[in-house]
Amino acid sequence: MTQQHEGGVPFSVAHDLQTFRLLELPPEIVELLDSPSPPPLSIKSLPPAASNTPNAKPAYAVLCTPNKSFQLRQVQTSNTLFVTRPTLEAHGDAIPAPTTCAIASCTATLELHLADASAVSYLEDALPVYHVVGGEVDAEENRKSKAGVFLHVPLSDGQCEKAWNELIAFELNGSSYRPSANTLSQVWQSINAAALAEGINLDRQFLTNDLAKLVEEEGNPASLAVAVCRHLSQADRDTEDQWCCLDRTKTVAFVGVTVLNARQGKPTFLTADFLEAWKDCLPEAWRADAELKAIEGAFSLPTSSTICAKSNVVTNTKPATTAAKGKGNWHERFGKNRKK
Amino acid sequence: MPSISLHPRPLQPPPTPASPLPHLLHTPSGLALLELQGDIRFPPTPASPTTHVGKLIFPLYNPVLNGEDDTKWMKRVWFYVGGNQRLAGEVKKLGKPFAVVRRRVVGQDKGREGDTVMGGADEAGKEELEIVEVVRYKIVFSNRPEPVGGTVEEGG
Repeated sequence: MTQQHEGGVPFSVAHDLQTFRLLELPPEIVELLDSPSPPPLSIKSLPPAASNTPNAKPAYAVLCTPNKSFQLRQVQTSNTLFVTRPTLEAHGDAIPAPTTCAIASCTATLELHLADASAVSYLEDALPVYHVVGGEVDAEENRKSKAGVFLHVPLSDGQCEKAWNELIAFELNGSSYRPSANTLSQVWQSINAAALAEGINLDRQFLTNDLAKLVEEEGNPASLAVAVCRHLSQADRDTEDQWCCLDRTKTVAFVGVTVLNARQGKPTFLTADFLEAWKDCLPEAWRADAELKAIEGAFSLPTSSTICAKSNVVTNTKPATTAAKGKGNWHERFGKNRKK
Repeated sequence: MPSISLHPRPLQPPPTPASPLPHLLHTPSGLALLELQGDIRFPPTPASPTTHVGKLIFPLYNPVLNGEDDTKWMKRVWFYVGGNQRLAGEVKKLGKPFAVVRRRVVGQDKGREGDTVMGGADEAGKEELEIVEVVRYKIVFSNRPEPVGGTVEEGG
């Protein structure tokens, strides 16, 4: 119980000040910290730009929760902010009295600003395209694991994981890649053929690894088959689950867009031919689902009888996010957010 | 891009002597925040690890009379510095609470307090940080000190 000392609470300053940092917490993080078992947090930092870079900018850091990230910004204050601690002190001949003692002095605090940029553009920069042409693999190794790639993205693991799944990225022999539309098209056909041969209903539960093994036998990476299944599986699935169940609507649209994108750069594609090719890539029972309205927004019709993919999206079924446009460095990207 | 762990709880909760401050300012670790314009200067007195610079008075704080829920007392805090200066301030609830973060003391230094340097060069192995406390109130003195006579009147 508080006993205010007669004549007030003595205040003292420690000579040997400690170093603390004060982090201004947004409500999301306060909530996390108030929970009985708060999740682990981490700070990813980027060292200052090399001196040979023009306009070298200072180092910056982001604080990551499991699925969110916050840019740290240092704010100088002209005031002195003491961190104090209760102590029992005697000065002079007096008996020790409860005292408030300043143990640290801060001239700057750290603000946290939500960084909700998509990790897609970072992963696109970090992951080489895995392209298969005529059975030959055309891909540059990056010699980085998934975790190694994530470590260099200034966003949380949750955001990275989402983008990883969006790009259908996969690991293979110590490197990590994202597939080209052509590769995706082949792997999908391989999945579809394997499902047909084994009598697997793709929109019912099946063992991902069993299917991946069959795909591997056809020369495609098993890890890519798993990535495709995960990408197309029903939303509430645990990614570590060994069972998989594809979302039919999502899968039909994905196959349509993949077939269309795989034809990018080739001569005109008749709409009728496209629909036929699309249906041929689907399980028999799903053929009727292949209608243009299922891939709304992903195509354009240059003439009344031809079709082409709307954008130059290579691997992605979703339109590129705004963040994907900037190829500049992180500082510029964050700088843009800051000016808002 | 190095990643540093920021532990949401301190490894060793610091010992918590009873805080002499009003109850609202209490935290599990006892840490509190006090902000003032300028700085406190005092001649070094190496004999003791701290220097007594003044006292805080909460003239309107009287939980016995007004109950623990009373918050009107927050409007007035006096800070007497030395014998001749007085700062007028108040207790404010922070819009965004502050996390007090420090480098986690690991290894043989465990238990020893102070001497934690952050942001400096990495000495022994991996650097880890921890949130020692989340502080939701601060005592603020935003005005310049005013001169007062040598004797302090109880209750300001």
